Amino acid sequence: MKKTLTLLGLFSFAILFAQTATNLTEFKENIASQKAEAKTQLKPYRFDGSKVTYFNFKTYKQVKEVEIYLFNNTDYRFSFNGKSLPNDITIEIYDKDKTQGDRILLKTIDGLQGKNVLVESSELNDTYRAAKNSKGRLKRVFVDYIITPVPGAVNKKPTMKERGAVVLVMGYKN
Amino acid sequence: MKKSKLAYKLFTLSAAFLMLSCGGENHDETNEVNVVDTAGTGSDENFEDLFESPEIDYHLPSPLQVASIFKKSGLSYNSDATSKPDLVENYTTELNQMLNFGVYSADMAYCVLNEQSNEGRKYLQVITDLAEKIGMEAVFENKDLMERFDTNIEDKDSIEVLMIDIHERTEMYMDENDMQHQQAVHFAGAWTEGMYLGVYDFENNPEKDGVGTQIAEQMSILGNIIKGLADPKNDGMDIEWLIADMGSIENTFNEFESVNNYYEDPDAEELVLTTVEYNTLSELIKTLRTKITNG
Repeated sequence: MKKTLTLLGLFSFAILFAQTATNLTEFKENIASQKAEAKTQLKPYRFDGSKVTYFNFKTYKQVKEVEIYLFNNTDYRFSFNGKSLPNDITIEIYDKDKTQGDRILLKTIDGLQGKNVLVESSELNDTYRAAKNSKGRLKRVFVDYIITPVPGAVNKKPTMKERGAVVLVMGYKN
Repeated sequence: MKKSKLAYKLFTLSAAFLMLSCGGENHDETNEVNVVDTAGTGSDENFEDLFESPEIDYHLPSPLQVASIFKKSGLSYNSDATSKPDLVENYTTELNQMLNFGVYSADMAYCVLNEQSNEGRKYLQVITDLAEKIGMEAVFENKDLMERFDTNIEDKDSIEVLMIDIHERTEMYMDENDMQHQQAVHFAGAWTEGMYLGVYDFENNPEKDGVGTQIAEQMSILGNIIKGLADPKNDGMDIEWLIADMGSIENTFNEFESVNNYYEDPDAEELVLTTVEYNTLSELIKTLRTKITNG
């Protein structure tokens, strides 16, 4: 009896491990193709790099933030790919990080799930100047991924259907 | 004996299940994949790492973008300014190899953007050699990069596209192999070299305000480079001196009066340091660059 239980336990582990590996491979392959798609959308801007933000949907709201530098005399394009999102999220772009109470909301993107969305630094600068009523420009931006709560999500034991990622590819005008 | 027979049977059955599962086309998405509770193996921990990015993250610009910005600001090509490729033999520790991988990447970008392709080719060769030493030979293993470089050596645009490909391959390789923490080390080398090339040109041509402004602007990245270097996964590399030196540069810069005035003025578009401030910053950068390139 003891041996049978051990055997069953090991079987379960093997199945679980194999399934995890398969799902992981599939997930990574999808990310790679989404990165390629997002990169294509950058043109004619020059590719500068990418940042994949991974997360697990939980029963409560989460925020993940990515800081991006904007240098003088350079225009940037950001390509967001949401095709690895099992649920929708909101993207908010700010001039300061999330600890700053006086930060300015420059752009909100809803409905990213299943899509590729482009944002350019020129529109963010226009919003910034209008809000500040100044001639200044953005030296960096903070991209906040607002990960919406999912009722029934298993917070401590995430499943593949609760895992998500946003692919962000950045480009600059040469 | 009984025990070993049982172990053999279990191994065979588990392997059979693994093969069946890996080869299957149907992936039931409702299957719970408990990567936390099946932990206890390194691979499961890696799965969990992959699926949960840090709450606060950042993107550092590529060496090509930094070189491009400096060039647009008026930076001239100075053939004596770059680090000599033959110094590569001196880099025997992992930290030196990674830092100088970054230094040579910045030098290559600088040469290519200034249409010095033959010089750029030398840097591609040393980058390839260093990549092999720091476990990234896969990025360069097909030799196609060098062939493409040689084929397009007269075509600046094609060489720039090739540099972007190298950057993308490196980024992908590091992501896939959980080496992101090392990116900050490469970048620390690239940043120091980029700043040094700016300082070198500005010292000889102080009328180039654009270069001076760009040196000041690139300082904004330093805080995140230091954070990246301080990642506990970099602990085994004797990296403390580098963090201390870069921290000292950042603190000195932040205490400059021009810097404080700049951040207090919402209309300020450019940060311009005084001559004394530039000289102080330049000396710190040159000292750090010498430490890195001397190995």
